[in-house]
Amino acid sequence: MSDTPSHGPGRSIMPRWVRGPQDFVGGIALMAIALFAFWASSDLQGMHGFSFGAGTAPRMFAGLLLGLGFAVMVVGVVSEGPHLATYAWRGPLFVSLSILSFAVTIRPLGLVISAFASFVISALGTPETRWKETIIVGICLTIGCSLLFPYALGLPLQLFPRFLVP
Amino acid sequence: MAELFSNLALGFGVAFTPINLLLCLIGALVGTLVGVLPGIGTIATVAMLLPITFGLPPVGALIMLAGIYYGAQYGGSTTSILVNIPGEATSVVTTLDGFQMAKQGRAGPALAIAAIGSFFAGCVATVLIAVLGAPLTKLALAFGPAEYFSLMVLGLIFAVVLAKGSVLKAIAMIVFGLLLSMVGSDIETGASRMAFNIPELADGLGFATVAMGVFGFAEIIRNLDAGAEMDRELVQQKITGLMPTKKDLIDSAPAIVRGTILGSILGILPGGGAVIASFAAYTFEKKIAKDPSRFGRGAIEGVASPESANNAAAQTSFIPLLTLGIPPNAVMALMVGAMTIHGIVPGPQVMQKQPDLVWGMIASMWIGNLMLIIINLPLVGIWVRLLRVPYRLMYPSIVIFCAIGIYSINNAPVDVVLAGAFGLLGYWLIKHDFEPAPLLLGMVLGPLMEENLRRALLISRGDWTVFLTRPLSATLMAIAAFLLVLAVLPSLRKKRDEVFVESET
Repeated sequence: MSDTPSHGPGRSIMPRWVRGPQDFVGGIALMAIALFAFWASSDLQGMHGFSFGAGTAPRMFAGLLLGLGFAVMVVGVVSEGPHLATYAWRGPLFVSLSILSFAVTIRPLGLVISAFASFVISALGTPETRWKETIIVGICLTIGCSLLFPYALGLPLQLFPRFLVP
Repeated sequence: MAELFSNLALGFGVAFTPINLLLCLIGALVGTLVGVLPGIGTIATVAMLLPITFGLPPVGALIMLAGIYYGAQYGGSTTSILVNIPGEATSVVTTLDGFQMAKQGRAGPALAIAAIGSFFAGCVATVLIAVLGAPLTKLALAFGPAEYFSLMVLGLIFAVVLAKGSVLKAIAMIVFGLLLSMVGSDIETGASRMAFNIPELADGLGFATVAMGVFGFAEIIRNLDAGAEMDRELVQQKITGLMPTKKDLIDSAPAIVRGTILGSILGILPGGGAVIASFAAYTFEKKIAKDPSRFGRGAIEGVASPESANNAAAQTSFIPLLTLGIPPNAVMALMVGAMTIHGIVPGPQVMQKQPDLVWGMIASMWIGNLMLIIINLPLVGIWVRLLRVPYRLMYPSIVIFCAIGIYSINNAPVDVVLAGAFGLLGYWLIKHDFEPAPLLLGMVLGPLMEENLRRALLISRGDWTVFLTRPLSATLMAIAAFLLVLAVLPSLRKKRDEVFVESET
């Protein structure tokens, strides 16, 4: 449910009877999320007698969301609305990659390498990056974070790669 | 009355310990620092800085968080005035006249009036919290599960009515939030719900994780869309003469009072209080002004009133949280998250069982506001320099800071990945004009609502009419229904849109 749909701009891909593509697609996506939730909670116990089972509330909210998503979709059909917005690929891609790389490397490689690598990767998110200053700021930030989090705030973060620390 | 004073005395006793004073100061400063950075609003600031309060004792943590909260509010107004970029939604209207004043070389008085107005509003709101706290708590004790459920429905409807944009989409976002809150273990049976056997999800989606993703990461990605080089019209000339003239003070004094009253009332109501308060205060000032054309050209009332209003609202929005345990907006929802992490369940019991905590926090708000006014005026120069840091260097730093913050909550890399995923989801929501704030509110209220709904139905033996037959609950439901109808009615919709259009002119 978190992936970004990569629809292009304009209404070429939308049938003509869709007057507000933004709401139309938004509504459909909400309905998809609701159906997914129905499926995900299908193994849970429902009502027994007059008391709720574990699955009652999730299914209730999923049902509500399904209805609301449908309503949003209908609004997208019957009333004039904005076109689909354009999605940039560069920012989302590199920021996500940077977050992912941090998550993967923080345990085995420690804060210093992980933070610096993520900094550089996320800096790729804009064409305006100048490498020299990025690397200098990245080093400063890494040093700052290495002092702030484990020492000043006392959080249990490992600084250096595991295989270097006995 | 005597009780009121003894409560406040207790609070000041707690807040005036050196360690708490220091935490209050750090919170206010850090909050201002992050609040000044454009593109990071109050919610993202509080979410980002949440982890740094984990190691503190509960009172200290709450004092620091409250400091971060109003510090960020204050920092937002600084950017509005100096660079015409609202640091957050509540200070959008401040840009209208504040930036014009700065252009005329009167940035000093504008900043000073914003600070003085905020401080006055903060004082009034602090007293108001102290006065209303106890009676509302007594009322809350009369509430059963049915009443609680109805009250939460009312709160959510309020949030919808006061949010900008489509009512339907706002409701959809709330329900989406409720659905997200269902992930994790069921409170009664312990059954794992929608967790897909991922151990990190067994406890549910972390609130800070979602908030940081939807507000922090999503906002960064969105800002990158527009190109990192944001158009920044910095006020270049030196800021001289901080103090407002006598005429400025005379002009703005009544505006501050009006803004404070309006803000206090709107803040207590659930749902985006501070944002709507600043808009309403600005519109109101413009309406009653003898010469409305001065507005938008550097009228000092246009800075004084909304700044007082948003600060008053920001503080009075603690009232429903502290007395009823119901967060009226997304920031308060984060406070609930913070309290829960420290093992405090917000609600009427807190006021009775841990009075030092509640009153200490209330007293610290007043102290914090005083600190802000003293510290920040000399620091304006530093904030301006900070704004010259280009976004291409700032955003990777924010990404890293957020990532470390999320990781440190549970030492779980999965949380970081989840926050990233919610960042993309948030970006998608923004692109489709869905507001993320109601989603967050729904997510926090979800477990509370489910629990009270279940309990109410269990007590009534499965009779759904219980919400309409108990008088208090029925009243709350009726108000909710009435509001919803009003919001959908075309005439009011037009008015409501007008208030928000104001910001774009």
